[in-house]
Amino acid sequence: MTVQAAQLRQELPRPMGRASFWTQIGLITWQNLVTIFRRPEAVLPPIGISLFFLLIYDSTLGGAASFIPNLGSNSYLGFILPLSIVSSSLSGAGIAAQNLVRNIEDGYFDKLLLTPVYRSALLTGTILSGGFILGLQATVVVGVALLMGLQVATGVLGVLAVIGLAVLLGLGFAGFTMSAALGSGNAAVVQSASFIFFPLTFLAPTFVPLELLDGWLKTAAQINPITYVLEAMRAVLNSGWDGPVLLRGVAACVILGSLMYILTLRALRIRTTRK
Amino acid sequence: MSNREIIVENLVKKYGSEVTAVNDISLHVQSGQIYGFLGPNGAGKSTTIKILTTLGLPTSGTARVGGYDVITQSNDVRRIAGVALQDIGIDPLMKPGELLALQARLFGANRSDAKARANYLLHLVQLADDANRRVGTYSGGMKRRLDLAMALVHDPDVLFLDEPTTGLDPASRRDIWREVRRLNQEMGMTIFLTTQYLEEADELADTIGIIADGKIVTTGSPAQLKAAVGKESLNLAFAEKSLAERASQLLAPEVDRAQVDRDTVRLYMPEAARAIPGVVDRLQQANLEPISLTLTQPTLDDVFLQVTGQALESNAAQAF
Repeated sequence: MTVQAAQLRQELPRPMGRASFWTQIGLITWQNLVTIFRRPEAVLPPIGISLFFLLIYDSTLGGAASFIPNLGSNSYLGFILPLSIVSSSLSGAGIAAQNLVRNIEDGYFDKLLLTPVYRSALLTGTILSGGFILGLQATVVVGVALLMGLQVATGVLGVLAVIGLAVLLGLGFAGFTMSAALGSGNAAVVQSASFIFFPLTFLAPTFVPLELLDGWLKTAAQINPITYVLEAMRAVLNSGWDGPVLLRGVAACVILGSLMYILTLRALRIRTTRK
Repeated sequence: MSNREIIVENLVKKYGSEVTAVNDISLHVQSGQIYGFLGPNGAGKSTTIKILTTLGLPTSGTARVGGYDVITQSNDVRRIAGVALQDIGIDPLMKPGELLALQARLFGANRSDAKARANYLLHLVQLADDANRRVGTYSGGMKRRLDLAMALVHDPDVLFLDEPTTGLDPASRRDIWREVRRLNQEMGMTIFLTTQYLEEADELADTIGIIADGKIVTTGSPAQLKAAVGKESLNLAFAEKSLAERASQLLAPEVDRAQVDRDTVRLYMPEAARAIPGVVDRLQQANLEPISLTLTQPTLDDVFLQVTGQALESNAAQAF
């Protein structure tokens, strides 16, 4: 031992226990956020794509939006913004899973399993880091929309509600991609899983309200949870607080998120079960 | 001192009905010993270490580490055991101090103690000067040293090292050896080390278990194992195996034992140096010309060759 190492070792207490569950969640969330932010190439493209769609849709369809009811003082921007935010949630939801699969591939996940970490803390911390990133992305997209002239009918609280819905919805998708990460341990599979939900954004009242849809598309939209999230966001942004609509949006997110959390827990159990 | 023993009894690990990776092994590592688990690739070393470190389950048999059962008391085993696996498990985007402090905090250290411990370990493995670099920029040797530091973050009673120097240059290998010896001598850590390098086992281990095809074929201290082989050997290398076999048939009646390994025949006998002129004469009479002739004292390679019928170093070389 070098002299310096020997001096540093003097009276260093031996850590022989286990951090509390909540401390562990905080540590795992921190570890994920540190490494996600060191890969800006993972965080920035989803924001860029969402902003791109926002500008394109607003420019190309905005002029023909007079048939859409309840836009309030907003142009088509207030109607199409939720789609852009949902797109950002979808693409951003894969970020935490990509970080997880990276740690599976580089062996760090196994190293963590050799510590007294709670398996559920490992999972929850990773999901929370994903939620933080999703919130950040939604904030940027809404911020750009405000700069473009968006008037939010419900004020600052409404902006927070929209961001909250984006995070809740994104966590559900994140759960799905994380279960793909845990099940496969393969980055390519996670990448593919991130795209599975994209068609859902078009089986919804994407460009026009639900009442203007017809036939099979309307049926598909009615069973699509994204529909209720889009409607809740649009109500908050354009017409004001609408309890039942907002509740339906939150319920859609909670149901999807709960199912995906169970799926992810199961995938984690399978991966960490000793064989 | 706490119980730092490793006791394995009749351990078996099967994959399906066809493959038996570990075939009924038993071993006892006493507190404060360095146990070298020596064998070629695929012999069952890593499977055994995975079971002992709670990453795998045995098909049958029992194992206790520091007094805890690896099957039913896995959390306790993780608490008192440090593990550096063959595949280094570090996040390349993080800095070494961050990884060490996180690891310490998961083991219950508070923020300032975790930071102090990370700082101490960085000095211990001589990475303090590179503490501000991301781990992804480290060389293989630096990553190994950091991985070792991570295994030491909670001052384990028992340390498992799975091929700790595979792929390292000679200087880095000697650094790791020095560190392993120090941990054992100064801290009394029991160390279970798997390796496919005879030199490594010879250098570090108090007791060596040689494993081949999932079975422990012999156990003892390096000196005991070499003494069991007992004799010097004269090694004659030929251009091809058939020539080595002819030489073996020719000379076998005149030596204690002749063994062919690929293109080399080893002749075990006492006072082998004195026998060289006679051996050369006999070969010339039979028109057999060796490419090289070397005289060696008994080594662990001889032990391995004797108990398994193949040379280990050539196996290790093939692994690269």
